[in-house]
Amino acid sequence: MADSVKTTMKVNIVAADHPVWHGEASSVTIPASEGGMGILPDHEPVLTVIKQGTLTVVEPDGDRHMFEVTDGFISFDSNKLTVAVERGHDVQYSGVEA
Amino acid sequence: MGSQLALKSRIRSTESLEKIFNAQEMIASSHIAKARDVALNAKPYTDAIFDAVQALVAHTHITHPIAVKDESNPRVAVLALTSDRGMAGPYTSSIIRETESLLARLEADGKQPELFVYGRRGSTYYKYRNRDVAATWEGDTDQPGVEIAETISNTLMDAYMKPAEKGGVSELYIVYTEFINMVVQKVRVLRMLPVEIVGNEAKVPDPENEKAAEDISPLYAFEPSLDEVLDAILPKYIQSRIHECLLTAAASETASRQNAMHTATDNARNLIDALTRRLNASRQASITQELTEIIGSADALNTKEE
Repeated sequence: MADSVKTTMKVNIVAADHPVWHGEASSVTIPASEGGMGILPDHEPVLTVIKQGTLTVVEPDGDRHMFEVTDGFISFDSNKLTVAVERGHDVQYSGVEA
Repeated sequence: MGSQLALKSRIRSTESLEKIFNAQEMIASSHIAKARDVALNAKPYTDAIFDAVQALVAHTHITHPIAVKDESNPRVAVLALTSDRGMAGPYTSSIIRETESLLARLEADGKQPELFVYGRRGSTYYKYRNRDVAATWEGDTDQPGVEIAETISNTLMDAYMKPAEKGGVSELYIVYTEFINMVVQKVRVLRMLPVEIVGNEAKVPDPENEKAAEDISPLYAFEPSLDEVLDAILPKYIQSRIHECLLTAAASETASRQNAMHTATDNARNLIDALTRRLNASRQASITQELTEIIGSADALNTKEE
């Protein structure tokens, strides 16, 4: 993972009253206020507001995690994505249970 | 005999009180574990917001109304966090005492404080005394959820963002009880608004360190724009700070209730012991008296026959 080209990033999703999910991901799609936004490992540092929608996390093995989120923001730096939302919950998990 | 009956009934009622206190104490101790869990669950969110606000401060000079104080407006808001129920020892009364002294201090500074109260005990205290209270909230003071934090922070943000001529306030203070440990809880006054962001402050005035500071925290791109991000994040920051205060206050309330109930149980037991001793003494006294009477009268009869 410490290669020059990073293929995964750390993702941490937290809701106001409980942590929702954290782990490694190869890409994340977020419902940014200006429209959907995809984030890949080694993205430039960004801080953006998100609105209500579905956040999709693609894990390194191709599994998809979907989360229903409302009203929050994400920040990305040093290959670490933090998603902080008012309310958020797991809606769908398609893939093999680990 | 009359006093013995009275003592017996006092012992019985103290015994049932003792049971109530003991139950309350156990309820409080089970709630503390829950309060701690809730606080731990909310922590990652608070940390995430705190980091984001730190990042914002590191790169920008905030001129957002939330961070800049309007000195000319004398109106300030004071939020007091009290409990819904009693039996928590000095919890609510020390909050009220601190609030009163804060109000007096603000008034002495020429400010016009407006009072906001959370918790039934606090709101009835002020209602009973016919004091002006801007708003009150009740319910769930021992396990406050996100919803109540949202309601409170929205009301306070509204009051804060309103222009001065429409009754807006220029500062916001919170009086709450900090949870230090199970035995020690401290009443604190926190100035919540305007936001004082600490942390990187030490680095900012030193221009030679600026380069180093930039290296440490990455340069962010703000989407859609810096102002919109600020508009979205600072209210959340306030809300999570308020939620944090509510959670600490709830933990303190529960701890305070547990302590108070523990003391009450001990007192009830001591009282039962003392009363039982008095009951035994009085029973023994009445037996002695009866014996004396019997012996005395028997003696009198014997003397007569002779």
